Amino acid sequence: MNQEQFEQIEQQITPSTPYVKNVLKAFLVGGLICTIGHAITYFYIIFFDFTEKTVGNPTAATMIFLSMLLTGFGLYQKLGQFAGAGSAVPVSGFGNAVISAAIEHKTEGFVLGVGGNMFKLAGSVILFGVASAFVVALIKLILVTMGVIEW
Amino acid sequence: MALPICFAILLMGCNDEKTLEVNNLGGEEAEEVKAIMENEESIYSGRAIFVEDQLMVAVQAKPWLDYKKTKIEKNLKKKLKESFPEYDITVSSDYKLYWEAQKLLDEEDSEKVKEKVEKLKKLKKEET
Repeated sequence: MNQEQFEQIEQQITPSTPYVKNVLKAFLVGGLICTIGHAITYFYIIFFDFTEKTVGNPTAATMIFLSMLLTGFGLYQKLGQFAGAGSAVPVSGFGNAVISAAIEHKTEGFVLGVGGNMFKLAGSVILFGVASAFVVALIKLILVTMGVIEW
Repeated sequence: MALPICFAILLMGCNDEKTLEVNNLGGEEAEEVKAIMENEESIYSGRAIFVEDQLMVAVQAKPWLDYKKTKIEKNLKKKLKESFPEYDITVSSDYKLYWEAQKLLDEEDSEKVKEKVEKLKKLKKEET
């Protein structure tokens, strides 16, 4: 069997990826997570002294905390298997990335294992988040100075 | 049974009429504020609170115009300033102020209203 034949057989056997189904699942679960987030937003606005401008931080913190708890109980993995990107793209995916890395390296000890590896995945999120925030703020500053938009 | 209720809720969304409310301390000026808010195309709801020399207007921008909030606030404030130059005017499209204004609508004690308006003005300035 040469390589071409092998590739042909391989393509025949490989089941086709259900793109539409996956996209729909991700859309529904991602939308559900964001709806919960919005409910938390209104909870903070109505019952605490937060405005629409300031409510972002506590909402993100709560969503991350909830997904961390779910990861610890082993439930977020199941959701991730079902929804794919729908559960990874919202901010709750960040909490999942931190805690699952911490659990994975628990056996290597607390300092070098958990401490050193906790931000293995989430570290890049923080790094590129900070870097891109800097660039976006710079662009906005330039636009404001030029008088195109306002703060 | 559930179907008509669903329909009613759905159709309420298509309602073009604005819900405009002004508190009792306003007096004659209440109608004027209402007229100004009625002419503002980009909002679907508004509440105005008069207390002593303060006028707080909390509005809700139409969903598709939400990104233009600051501009809407500015325009409305300018229009109000022309009609009520003697008042200290606060205009906000923030949901927090809108929600709290609902509670102030029926409050009779002007001292309490004033306190609350001052607190909301401080909250509006909060950045973090």
